[in-house]
Amino acid sequence: MSGRWKLWMAPAAVLAVGLASVPAADLYYQSSWGTGCARCHEIGIDYDRWRHATHRNINCVECHAGSLQKDLRRVEAHMAGTVPDQVHLGPQDIFDMLPRCRKCHEQEFAEWASGAHSTTYARIFTDSDRNRKQLLMDDCFRCHGMHFEGGIKDLVEPVNTVGPWRLKDPSYANLPAIPCMACHSIHREGAPLVKPRERVSAQEEIVRPSVGLFDRRTRMNVSAAILPLPAIYEGARPVRISSDQRQALCYQCHAPLATMQAGSGDDRTPLGIHEGLSCLACHEQHGEATRQSCADCHPRLSNCGIDVEKMDTTFRNPKSAHNIHTAKCLDCHPKGVPKKAAAHESSILH
Amino acid sequence: MNVSRTRRTFLGAAAAAAISGAAGCGGARGTTWRVFSGHEARTLDALLEWIIPEDDSPGARGAGVSHYIDRQLSTHFREHRQAYRDGLAATDRLAGGDFAGAPRKQQQAALRKLQRDPATRPFFNLLVPHAMQGFYGNPRHGGNRDFASWRMLGVPPLPVRGRSQYDLTAGGGNAKS
Amino acid sequence: MRKVDAVIIGAGASGGVVAKELSTNGISVVVLERGRWYGPNDDRKDDLRNQRTSILGNNSGPEDEGNPRVAVDAQGRERIVLPSQGNYSNNAACVGGGTLTYGAMAWRYHPKDFRMRSTYGALEGSTLDDWPISYDDLEPYYEKAEWEIGVSGDDSANPFKGPRKKPLPMPPLALNKECVILKAAAGRLKLHPFDLPMLRNSVPYNGRGPCMRCRWCVGFPCEVNAKCGTQNTVIPKALATGLCELRLRSMVKEIQFDQKGHATGVAYFDEHDRLQTQEADFVVVAGAATETARLLLNSKHRLWPTGAGNRYDWVGRNLQGHTYTGAFGYFEEVVYDDIGPGAGVAICDFNHGNPGLRGGAMLANEFIRLPIQFVSMLPPRTPRFGPAHKEAMRKYYRRTIAVQGPTQEMPMWHSRVQLDPKVKDRWGIPVLRISGSQHPHTIEIGTAMAAKAEMWLKAAGAAETWRKLPGHNVTGGQHQAGTCRMGNDPKASVANRYGQVHDIDNVFVADGSLHVTNGGFNPALTIMADAYRISEHLIKTWRGTRFRS
Repeated sequence: MSGRWKLWMAPAAVLAVGLASVPAADLYYQSSWGTGCARCHEIGIDYDRWRHATHRNINCVECHAGSLQKDLRRVEAHMAGTVPDQVHLGPQDIFDMLPRCRKCHEQEFAEWASGAHSTTYARIFTDSDRNRKQLLMDDCFRCHGMHFEGGIKDLVEPVNTVGPWRLKDPSYANLPAIPCMACHSIHREGAPLVKPRERVSAQEEIVRPSVGLFDRRTRMNVSAAILPLPAIYEGARPVRISSDQRQALCYQCHAPLATMQAGSGDDRTPLGIHEGLSCLACHEQHGEATRQSCADCHPRLSNCGIDVEKMDTTFRNPKSAHNIHTAKCLDCHPKGVPKKAAAHESSILH
Repeated sequence: MNVSRTRRTFLGAAAAAAISGAAGCGGARGTTWRVFSGHEARTLDALLEWIIPEDDSPGARGAGVSHYIDRQLSTHFREHRQAYRDGLAATDRLAGGDFAGAPRKQQQAALRKLQRDPATRPFFNLLVPHAMQGFYGNPRHGGNRDFASWRMLGVPPLPVRGRSQYDLTAGGGNAKS
Repeated sequence: MRKVDAVIIGAGASGGVVAKELSTNGISVVVLERGRWYGPNDDRKDDLRNQRTSILGNNSGPEDEGNPRVAVDAQGRERIVLPSQGNYSNNAACVGGGTLTYGAMAWRYHPKDFRMRSTYGALEGSTLDDWPISYDDLEPYYEKAEWEIGVSGDDSANPFKGPRKKPLPMPPLALNKECVILKAAAGRLKLHPFDLPMLRNSVPYNGRGPCMRCRWCVGFPCEVNAKCGTQNTVIPKALATGLCELRLRSMVKEIQFDQKGHATGVAYFDEHDRLQTQEADFVVVAGAATETARLLLNSKHRLWPTGAGNRYDWVGRNLQGHTYTGAFGYFEEVVYDDIGPGAGVAICDFNHGNPGLRGGAMLANEFIRLPIQFVSMLPPRTPRFGPAHKEAMRKYYRRTIAVQGPTQEMPMWHSRVQLDPKVKDRWGIPVLRISGSQHPHTIEIGTAMAAKAEMWLKAAGAAETWRKLPGHNVTGGQHQAGTCRMGNDPKASVANRYGQVHDIDNVFVADGSLHVTNGGFNPALTIMADAYRISEHLIKTWRGTRFRS
């Protein structure tokens, strides 16, 4: 009897220690501010980056606290030596980040949520109007759904132009296709943010180190500071574009075809009266809203009596005379631009 | 440091002892390396800097080439682990004990011996292509930090490419045969 | 397993075409593919792990584990090699085969490429011979491949091409900077440059969009699905018929025969490594030159104890690929514009008609070279490390144009694959042992082509040039061909002009193994066209359970 009891004793002790060590581990990770996490050397590089990052005052577990199951899986991978080549967040981790980002960045989050970039997987990938015209492809993931693990055929079926299309995993339907981490990297060097006392002037565009496109291929955010600002052409004429480096992020997706012609592909480079303006001169960073920005430069009522805030400035129709990206002086002044106005136009500093 | 954090650290350290014992994590381990010891990594970094030196753009050290090698030794290049251990030890020996700490002249002499000595030449011949892969290869493998080499060459990390806007319903794109 | 009309081994360039042709003509088929169905997400443009640069593995199979081969070098030293290592001569093991990741040049061979012996006479030390078919025999099938699978380009300015009835279905891509430079220079030399044909959409075609012109092309699956391989053209069509079943990770062990030597089907290991039998009325082998030969050699019978079709020891012989030769030119201005795929302009002036040479090569500018690939392309006297190496990378990378071509190889009896007596793969099937070397005349041709490439680059304004000279080792790899030569004489070939293996009425070879010679061109379109030709013969002559003789 007592021998049998002894037999049970050993595993029971192991179990007890194991159970006790879960809260202990939790406490340990919280209190060690990362060094405990980084002791498992696989995340050394990421840990080093975080230590110098804007978000270094936020403890690892505030973003990475996972379920018990997930933690056990991590430990198992570490012990068994089956650590992946490149340690990275899975799609669920990325979606779990959203409320955490929101906690501190409420306004940015609200703007994003109200803008086009908070679009969902369902709206992007099961849009029958588009899917009939163009075949779904893996390159779609470059700009939306970049965190999805798998190919296009793992996300949508059928991959053809007939449809009807549905997401293989319906739980993706309402998830954001361009989440915070699509353009922001947390583990990036930079000083912790302090609230600026006054508004930064438009002349001082800052590329924050954390801003960078999540490149699905490499599974890392490539900083906007090292992304290319393309040379854009209208026919053979080089188009003047703003030197605002932050646009490099926009150009990754709102990009021209290889010919680099303005307006080709997904390009929105402004031509005509707005040529040379930075994307961010008009578009809010997170909500992309532009309406307010017109009034920054234009008097509410222009000389000719048109209310600029009520103009139909649609960009969806590239042929519209009011297309804000291409409007030329002659579009509104078919009889020629009045002399005085022309002089004024050229004096505007873009 | 405030009081509460100090106390938490203390409690944490106590828990750490229990956990690291249970989980088998050696606490003495360096934090950044999968395979190398801290000293080996320092020797390797110094050696790699001779293979791809820093000038007006980063060299092997700045681009994190040793991270590439460390990561591959834990996966694809597993069979070369011993060659690296022996090779780095030999490198130190040729420089009088500590290659990274030796003066440049002494490092250069050691490097020359490393290349010529039939015992160490195979290690050097292994190292050079690995250095090139870590420096010129894609950063996803641990080297070429922030695309340092691609930027040096004038290759943008990502090209600017839009989608072609076509419409298959408008009759485009169907083979006639 | 339910018996089917045909079992096809391999879902690559030829197997895909045969599957589509048979199934759309009412013949039921099972396609056994040893690899998986990979897409662009599986490698994510990894410059160290792809078909061409496999330092950290390959992206289109086979896996390194369990698929060894034995390579024997010119000195007779043998070593075990893995698929991602040099000398393995790997192409691919996946749906689409090499066409998933190829650069996609779409060449028709020159009419003389089918008549090498008649054109140039016998060559000492080489098994140089004529094909049993002519260019004209293949022409309708070239056209079919061009239109069904999709080719862009414009060869109207190429006076050296064989006659074609129909132009290419798609216009060429716009030239990138180095193509513009080279085209003008070739014009000045009174050569005949043109926009080379590619199995690539330049405009929307076959329900897929055009090339986005990225820098990762050769070696990678296409993210915009613009590269036309069998995996996105004929194979989906075959599957849509309901008569074609594609089984992945299915490794064929041997073809099975009845007492009289009539094939009854194949034995294969399924995705769970269980040994299965698939019965069929006929068998089409389309595993590419190395693996097709291996399967025939492994398919032994009382009547052919050394392997099917091997009565006269021809199976596995005459292994060919292409030794690539050419030159690099350094320009004082930047010539790299990051517009892929890179290759775009070609000349066929030197494929034939070179005094004293039996053939030549098509010459074209090369695909974009990723930085890691360029490390080994620097001028010969560049130090291999140190400040000078780094400086050279900086100086040359964006100012260098490469012109290369696939040298017409003289087939060699001793360049071969055979079964290794000891080494087996993970299923216990004997693996290949590759040995051989290049004929001295191949080296001569390649060396001459390197000089032509250099001349072209100099005319284009290169301030400095260096040559890429031919290698002496046996080739294979992506362009592998020749191991099951087709011919009219059963004593000097493996199969007849329709790929039907001599002595066996219902086993056919349909891939590049049949090539008697391998031209001075990339072989993919020829392999596809020939698969269409053989398929048509199968459809016409098959009568339910046997072939009309």
